[in-house]
Amino acid sequence: MSAAGRAAVSRGILLRLREQLVFTKKGQELLKMKRDHLASETNKLLSKLAERNELDRQLMEAYENLKVAYLNIGFSSLDSQAATVNEMGVRVRPRSIMGVIVPEVIMEKKADIGSISSPSAYKAASKLNGIMENLIQLAEAESRLESIAHELMMTNRKVNSLERVLIPGLIELIRYVEGRLEEESLEEFFRAKCVKKVIRGRKK
Amino acid sequence: MKSPSTIYLVTRTHGMRTHFLTDENFKTMAKSRSLSEIVDQLLRSDYATEIGKLPSEQVDPSKLEMIFLKTLVERFFNLTKNAKGKGREFLENYVARIEIENLKRILRAKHTNAKIEEHKLIPLDRQHTLINFPALLKAKDIEETTALLRETPYTSLTRRIDDYKRLGITIILESYLDSIYFDKVWEKVEKLENKKSIRKLVGEEIDLSNLQLILTLKMKEIASRQIEEMAIPISYRLRKTNIKRLAQGRFEDSPEALVGTPYVNIAIEILKKTDPTIELETILSKKLYQNASFALRNSSLEFGYVVAYLMMCEREARNLVTITTALDLEVTEENLLQRLFI
Repeated sequence: MSAAGRAAVSRGILLRLREQLVFTKKGQELLKMKRDHLASETNKLLSKLAERNELDRQLMEAYENLKVAYLNIGFSSLDSQAATVNEMGVRVRPRSIMGVIVPEVIMEKKADIGSISSPSAYKAASKLNGIMENLIQLAEAESRLESIAHELMMTNRKVNSLERVLIPGLIELIRYVEGRLEEESLEEFFRAKCVKKVIRGRKK
Repeated sequence: MKSPSTIYLVTRTHGMRTHFLTDENFKTMAKSRSLSEIVDQLLRSDYATEIGKLPSEQVDPSKLEMIFLKTLVERFFNLTKNAKGKGREFLENYVARIEIENLKRILRAKHTNAKIEEHKLIPLDRQHTLINFPALLKAKDIEETTALLRETPYTSLTRRIDDYKRLGITIILESYLDSIYFDKVWEKVEKLENKKSIRKLVGEEIDLSNLQLILTLKMKEIASRQIEEMAIPISYRLRKTNIKRLAQGRFEDSPEALVGTPYVNIAIEILKKTDPTIELETILSKKLYQNASFALRNSSLEFGYVVAYLMMCEREARNLVTITTALDLEVTEENLLQRLFI
């Protein structure tokens, strides 16, 4: 931001500009803190995402077991076995991390697979049931990461624009205003001297 | 000396046996690349009529499964129709396994209040059952379902409702249904003449069912006292002491618990597998169908031949279900052949 062309220069404006600079710097500090916090959250979530490969492997294993169950008892019988499983209870509630709204998934009730009477179907169900909680946690982490990463990018942009554009502009403007005010006061001083000199000359 | 009705029934069964698909047929089907290839092969078998009614674009494994089960039911009841006297009484009780399976399906759905419709049951004509299935399907919960079973052979199921409520698992009711079923079948076996071969077949089936139930319950870590209560109270070679030891011991110790029975090797074979629980059904069913196959070869003039035929009908249906399901799930031919009962 160039200070050239700015006409209004007064002590009041200088004070306002100084206040604005202090406020902007405070804002920048806060945004930096937010950025750091979001970055540390992202790091935590990244370690969670690393479990994805292991979860994929477990899922494939569970699906293999499910295939065996299908082969052993057929579609209609497995469908009937599946009917004994109560639905699992999951609640999603919003949570705020530094102002970023992320979903928090709470598993309220696990699926009850105790009534499955076919051993192969039970095995497949118990594997899938065991994975389900981790799968939900992973989905929650991925969703959080998406929101946080977006906010992190926005915050970074804001910090950069404050650091590289807005604050240097304000400093330059303050310097310009200070310079103009100093010039004006010198002019005033010189004018007063001249006036004094003229008055003294007339008296003599 | 065998009665003329038994001789007639066995002779008819010999004729019906020729309709079976051979192991070669199963192997060829296992190599098929599409359901239409399997359907083409089945059009030369007992399944042709039902499959012919199915438009080719509607062919899928679940519809084919229903056709296989329908044919199985028809085979069961065709044979029963041809029997007379005590043989017929026995067969009528034996084929009740279809209605038992349907009852179990309804109870499972009612346990979670899941919607269940008639097409989810094994197709069973009203003339073949005393159970009012449409009413059971409409029942609002398990209590109402069991109440509707009054005046049927399964009326005593209501006695297990308290246990079901206490533990919250339908296996209690399912195992009790099995107990009622096998109790009736065993009672009829004892009334048959020349019952040696049939006793062995049905007795071992009861033992194998009991083994599967107990090992499944062990897998679920159900208390030993409850396992003993849920076990089928009929023993052939599996004595009560074996059941007690199985229930009280660890899953891994099952071979020791079965010492003195012909099932030790089965338990060892199960434990040899990397994942014993998932192979349990296949191994036990293979043993059952081996017995049936042996009876078909060696008891060709006995009533046991008829029961072996029924078991082999079931084997054929299960093999066909496995083949069509495997094709849909893209299971390799090698894996599929391991799961077939051939």
